[in-house]
Amino acid sequence: MIYGKMWCVVRPSLGVPLIIGAVAVGSFAVHLALLTHTDWVPRFLNGGPPAAKAAMVVPAADVAAAQAPKADKL
Amino acid sequence: MSDKDRVWPTGLTEAESEELHRNLIQGTQFFGLIAAFAHLLAYIYSPWLG
Repeated sequence: MIYGKMWCVVRPSLGVPLIIGAVAVGSFAVHLALLTHTDWVPRFLNGGPPAAKAAMVVPAADVAAAQAPKADKL
Repeated sequence: MSDKDRVWPTGLTEAESEELHRNLIQGTQFFGLIAAFAHLLAYIYSPWLG
């Protein structure tokens, strides 16, 4: 196995937490950036609809206005 | 004593080192598989890259 002997010279008690910690910090940073720089991650965390469905959702006020009888027809 | 039985400065033999590395690689693959599935779900849900 390639690099299989690295633990002969790198103490596992140092190397393993270093690797896992680097992955953890890196992925946390990416997901934090997504949370603060997009609108769909906060919407998802708030239980909102997916973006495709959110685009199709018509606000209730618009529906009510469309269904209301027109003044000229009364 | 053959070289394979040598205890290196970290306290491991070559066989122990390779066993540890094998488990680390296996854990990474398992983590990666779950992460890939989670990213697929996020890609389906979101306008990510779209």
